[in-house]
Amino acid sequence: MKYILTIGWLYPDLMSIYGDRGNIIALTKRCEWRGIHVEVKPITVDTTLSELRNADLLFMGGAQDRQQTIVAKDLLKKKTVLSTMIETGTPGLYICGGFQFLGHYYKEADGSIIEQLGVLDVYTENPGGKRLIGNIAIEVDGLWPMANSKTISNKLSAISQLVVGFENHGGRTRLGKEVKPLGKVIKGYGSNAEDHTEGAVYKNSIGTYLHGPILPKNPILADWLIAKALERKYKTAITLKTLDDSIELLAHDAILKKIR
Amino acid sequence: MRNFLITQLGKSICTISKLTNSGSGSTWPGHVALKLNKNYIKELLKDSSRQIVLIAGTNGKTTTGKILTTILKKNGKNVFQNSSGANLINGIASSLLLHTNFSGKLTTDFAIFEVDENNLPLVLQELTPQAIIVLDLFRDQLDRYGELDGIARNWQQAFEKLPSTTHLILNADDPLIAYLGTATKATVSYFGLDPTKTEGQSVQHAADSLYCPRCSNKLQFSKIVYSHLGLWKCPHCKLQRPIPNLADSFYPLEGTYNKYNTLAASLTAQTLGFSRENIDQALHAVTPAFGRQEKLVIQGKQIQLFLAKNPTSFNESLKTIVENNNKSFPRRVGNPSAKVVPLWREGQGEGSRLRSNNKLHVLFVLNDRIPDGRDVSWIWDIDMEQYIEKLQRITISGDRCWDMTLRINYSMQFPISNFQFSNSKIQTYKNLKLALKNAIKNIPVNETLYILPTYSAMLEVRRILTGRKIL
Repeated sequence: MKYILTIGWLYPDLMSIYGDRGNIIALTKRCEWRGIHVEVKPITVDTTLSELRNADLLFMGGAQDRQQTIVAKDLLKKKTVLSTMIETGTPGLYICGGFQFLGHYYKEADGSIIEQLGVLDVYTENPGGKRLIGNIAIEVDGLWPMANSKTISNKLSAISQLVVGFENHGGRTRLGKEVKPLGKVIKGYGSNAEDHTEGAVYKNSIGTYLHGPILPKNPILADWLIAKALERKYKTAITLKTLDDSIELLAHDAILKKIR
Repeated sequence: MRNFLITQLGKSICTISKLTNSGSGSTWPGHVALKLNKNYIKELLKDSSRQIVLIAGTNGKTTTGKILTTILKKNGKNVFQNSSGANLINGIASSLLLHTNFSGKLTTDFAIFEVDENNLPLVLQELTPQAIIVLDLFRDQLDRYGELDGIARNWQQAFEKLPSTTHLILNADDPLIAYLGTATKATVSYFGLDPTKTEGQSVQHAADSLYCPRCSNKLQFSKIVYSHLGLWKCPHCKLQRPIPNLADSFYPLEGTYNKYNTLAASLTAQTLGFSRENIDQALHAVTPAFGRQEKLVIQGKQIQLFLAKNPTSFNESLKTIVENNNKSFPRRVGNPSAKVVPLWREGQGEGSRLRSNNKLHVLFVLNDRIPDGRDVSWIWDIDMEQYIEKLQRITISGDRCWDMTLRINYSMQFPISNFQFSNSKIQTYKNLKLALKNAIKNIPVNETLYILPTYSAMLEVRRILTGRKIL
């Protein structure tokens, strides 16, 4: 069976600052190398709602303030469709600004509050002052339901509990009861530099501050998203062909060595 | 008297630092001087007739400074330029200190300072320059500089206080930079590339300022030179690219980015009172700056260094290398109507239109130290997919060599299988000496190894090659 996946890339021209494109490249190549056909659809200002609805997998990166203002305005038009997609289990990865957008609100350093989509039970406050910047490692074991997924090869499962990346954010995000954290911080700051949690998982959506970008060095996460998207689209259990991830693991381990 | 002592102390520190090879001679004296007298720079320049030129921007500061220095020197002026490692406030104090004579007077007619993005407002509190060149703003070291809009805002505030005697030399093709000319009392001049003589292309992924700096609506580009530089206008508020005061010149250095650097330096010399004729003549004497297209010959093999420190400088360096390599081949003219294509795709854009003779040997060195930026995620914004087929052999090294190897792997049609590097066109060595040794060994005599290092890697590569340590 020839599988086809449509990846909806939310605001590639506006929300893509920290090498976020690497996540799209990783998803695309890991599909293509397995013979899965991929189409990447940019979903940006004025893209129709039906194009958004057609996506099997969603991705959104981070941005500068001015760009975020433009996106916030446009997202209001897409709010209902996007919320429904997330609620009904469309897998997605939302980084940094993308993660914050899904929450209830974003409170700026000057106290002004910006309403967000409210799909994820999280909220973000920026106290001003110090940004949280640096390499980060988080442990996903036990907190992360996907760690037990059959789609993940055994070879990887031992080290895959540690997800590595680079964080750079002023906002502190706190989690409500409806979501689980993506992982526990081993080294670095995490969502708010206080409770040692990083990111959030809700249904098949992942929000996180990890860029670097996150997927190339953490292929297990990329494969989880791909498998979820295929399972949902084709309504059948999916076992992805194993790829040689030697270079991925060397890059992953180099970060662990660096911050140990 | 106080400053006299400080200056002598600073000079001694510099001498000691050079003797002990501690390598901090370019910033320490200034650091100490400012600690002892925080008004040191202001007081030193108080009675001075020195003309000062500041150069700011993400890419091209050092080369623009070198071109301007050459023009001024060729026209009989005494000039000094700070080194790029000394572009913070203490580095500038150091450069000044080292160029004062025994009686505390500056010894040159002109001082040219390249200034770090974050330090420009601070420097403007200390001195009033004759000219400020603002080249461009690209995404670069976001972990250190933060976002481009924030930098531009701080600059705008600093420029509001400039007197009309200061010339502000701005890049008309960069929307965020051109907009800086709208709210200042300084005398503004613009440089930009003549659109009739420039090939256009589609939007590169690393493009940053695609939205209006005034009203935040999407800008229209009728031509893109590279990244977000081009012929732009805002359909909403009608802000548009100003008409440049200088748009063409003799260009002594390769690469489109060096055309901007040349125009910026030329226009500055013009506003300082030099004639076009004298400027153009001097341009013929320009040679590349340290590590920027710098050429070395090692064992009969050509080596050329292209500092590649952010996505735009990496893309433009790769493009220049491919163009160099194809000089004898006919080229098709680019698509004149630049279309916004936000996705990367093989076969689109400038690089793919160039034919290759398949002899390109490159060495990428990726470090993540403070001068490079700790965050290397920017390598995924390089348009590697456009160039990968044209590179015959790729050697990779640096602190983050595996990140770069991964980036290369994901730009290929098929992954490097079973990690068989011995058969692959890609070789990765964490050890830089080993990487250099093998990369040089593997190219035939009379062919060129192009090295694209980040900043600290460039210094390291030069140290190894000029010290001939490995060979």
